[in-house]
Amino acid sequence: MHSGKSLASSTASNDPRRAVISEPPLVRYALLAVALGFLGLFLVMPLAAVFTEALSKGFRAYFGAMAHVDALAAIRLTLMTAAIAVPLNLVFGIAAAWAIAKFEFRGKDLLVTLIDVPFSVSPVISGLIFVLLFGLQGWLGPWLDDHDIRIIFAVPGIVLATIFITFPFVARELIPLMQAQGTEEEEAAVVMGASFWRTLWNVTLPNAKWGLVYGLILCNARAMGEFGAVSVVSGHVRGLTNTMPLHVEILYNEYDFVGAFAIASLLALLALVTLAAKSFVEWRARAAIREAIAMAEAEGGVA
Amino acid sequence: MSIEVRNIHKHFGKFHALQDVNLHVQTGELVALLGPSGSGKTTLLRIIAGLEVADSGTVLFHGEDATDRHVRERQVGFVFQHYALFRHMTVFENVAFGLRVRKGKAKPLEGYIRARVSELLDLVQLGWLADRYPSQLSGGQRQRVALARALAVEPRVLLLDEPFGALDAKVRKELRRWLRRLQDDLRITSVFVTHDQEEALEVADRVVVMNEGKIEQVGAPDDVYDRPASRFVYNFLGDVNLFHGRVHQGQAQLGGLEVEVPEHNGTLDTAAVAFVRPHDVDVARYRSGGPTIEATVRHVKALGPRVRLYLERTEEGAEIEAELSRERFEELALAEGEKVYVSLRKLRVFVEDSLSAA
Repeated sequence: MHSGKSLASSTASNDPRRAVISEPPLVRYALLAVALGFLGLFLVMPLAAVFTEALSKGFRAYFGAMAHVDALAAIRLTLMTAAIAVPLNLVFGIAAAWAIAKFEFRGKDLLVTLIDVPFSVSPVISGLIFVLLFGLQGWLGPWLDDHDIRIIFAVPGIVLATIFITFPFVARELIPLMQAQGTEEEEAAVVMGASFWRTLWNVTLPNAKWGLVYGLILCNARAMGEFGAVSVVSGHVRGLTNTMPLHVEILYNEYDFVGAFAIASLLALLALVTLAAKSFVEWRARAAIREAIAMAEAEGGVA
Repeated sequence: MSIEVRNIHKHFGKFHALQDVNLHVQTGELVALLGPSGSGKTTLLRIIAGLEVADSGTVLFHGEDATDRHVRERQVGFVFQHYALFRHMTVFENVAFGLRVRKGKAKPLEGYIRARVSELLDLVQLGWLADRYPSQLSGGQRQRVALARALAVEPRVLLLDEPFGALDAKVRKELRRWLRRLQDDLRITSVFVTHDQEEALEVADRVVVMNEGKIEQVGAPDDVYDRPASRFVYNFLGDVNLFHGRVHQGQAQLGGLEVEVPEHNGTLDTAAVAFVRPHDVDVARYRSGGPTIEATVRHVKALGPRVRLYLERTEEGAEIEAELSRERFEELALAEGEKVYVSLRKLRVFVEDSLSAA
C-alpha cells in the first residue's frame, strides 16, 4: 500500500492526462477576463477616481483641504469614536463569546440571535432608535434636557450609534473559533489551580487571538466608516459633530470636490490598510482553526 | 491518599447518569472504571476531580469531605481524553503551567521550575522535545506530555479519562505497560476510565465495572473475569456463549445438555441462562464420557496463536464459538463442515431473578 501511494503521487505531477479534469483554455481565460473586468469597473476605477479627483488641483490643494479646521475636527472625532467603540466592543465580544462558547445556559440561542440584530437592521433605523430614546421628544429626552445632558446631535449620540452598529463584529468572529476549540484546555488549567483571570489570559485569549484581531480590524473599519446611523444622530454641526463620512457628504454637496475627495481618499486608504491587515490575519486565523481541527481529528477517534 | 465516594447521584436533564454510586479507592491503588459508553464512568471521574457537581452524595479525600472543595483546591492531576495540551505553549511551558500559576508563598523559583520540569520530562522520556509545540508531536508523545503536566503539581490523586482511547493499537499497548510501571514507582492513587476490558484487566489493581449509571462489580482483574457477579459483567468482559434452559434442584437442562449446578440447589424449575467463554469450550472428534453437544464446524479463523471455531449446534442451529490453541487445533485437524462433539469445561448459570437484575 505504501509503495502504491508514492507511485501515484510521483506520476500525478507530470501526468499529461491532467487536462481531463480541467476546463478548456478558452473557458478559463473568459472567466478570468469577466472577473478582472468587474474588479476594474467597480473597484479599481472608483478608487482611481477618488485619488485623481482629490489631487486634481495639485498636492497643495489636497493637503490644504485635509488641514482645514473642520476637516481636522472630523478626523479627530472619527478617531475618538473608534477609540471608544472598539475597546468596548472588545470587552463585550470576549464576554459574549466566552459565555456562548464555554457555558451551557438557558436562552443561549436568543443571545446569539440578539447579537446579530445590528447586522439585520438598517443603519438608519439604528440611528432612529437612539433619537427615539434620547431625543427631545423621546422617552428619556425631557429628563436629559432637565439635567442639561445632550446626547442626540452631540458626540455621545455618535459614539452610542457607532457602538450599536459595531457590537457584533468581535463576538461573531470569536464564537465559532472558541466553539471549535472546546473547553478542555480551560478545564485543564483550572485543575492545575489557575484562577479565572489567569485561565482567560493565558489559555483562552492566546488561543483565540487571531479571531480577536480579525474582529477588531473589521470593527474598526466599520466604526470609522459608518454613515447611516451616525448621520441620523449627528445633526451635522461642522467642527463639532461631523465625522469623516459626514464631512465628505457636506463638502460634496457644497461642490468642494477637492475637499470631499481628499477626506474620501483617507477613508479609502483606511480601507486598503484594513484589507491588507485582514488578509494577513485571515491567513493566520485559518491556520489556527486548521490546527485546532487537525488536533481534534488526530485525537478524536473515540467519543 | 484514599478516595471515597458515597451515594452519588447525578442527572443530566432526565437522564440518570449515576445512581447511588459507592466506591472506595485505597491509597496507592490503580483502579479502572470500566464500562460501555453512557455507563457514567467519565461522569464519576469528573465528579471525583471536581469538574462536575453531583446532585447528591459526598466525595471524601483521605477521609475528609471534599464535596464542596473547588477543583482548584483538590490537588488532583487530570489527564483528559484529548490531552487538552495548551496549543500555543511549548512542551516545557505546558508542564510548567501548574507551577507558574501558584501564588504568594507557594510560588516556586524559576530554578526550581526548570529542574522539576526537566525531571518530569525525563520521567516520560521526552526531554528532547521540550521546545516543541503540541501540534508537532505524535499522539503517544502528547499523551505523555499530558501525564507529565498532570504530575507537575504533585497531585495527591491522578485521574485519567480514556488515557489511551485515541491511540493506535501498538502505541496503546506500550503506553499501558509504561503507565503500570510508572504507577508501581510513584504509587499515586490513580483512577482511570476505559471502555476497553483488555486495558482494564491488564493495567489495574482493581476493576470497577459500570453499566447504566450503576456499579455492577468491583474486584481484582482475575476476580471479575473468572467470577462475574452479573450477566452484564460476564457479557462485557470478553466473548461469551449463551445457552438458554431451565434449572431444577441443582440440575441445569440446557437443550440436550445436562449439567450439575450445585449453587442453585434450592431453585425449582426456573428459566436460566448459562454463559461459557469460548476458551472454556472443548471440541473433540468423538463422543467422550461427559455430557456433550453435537455440532458442525462452520468457519475456522486463525488469530495468531489461537484458532477460533464457529460451530452450529445440530439440534437447534444456535452458534457456539470455541477458541483452541493452535496445537490443539492441528491435533484435531478439523475442516469446515465436519461433525464434532462439544463439551463445556466451565460454565456459569444465572437463573431468572438474577437475569432481570442484570
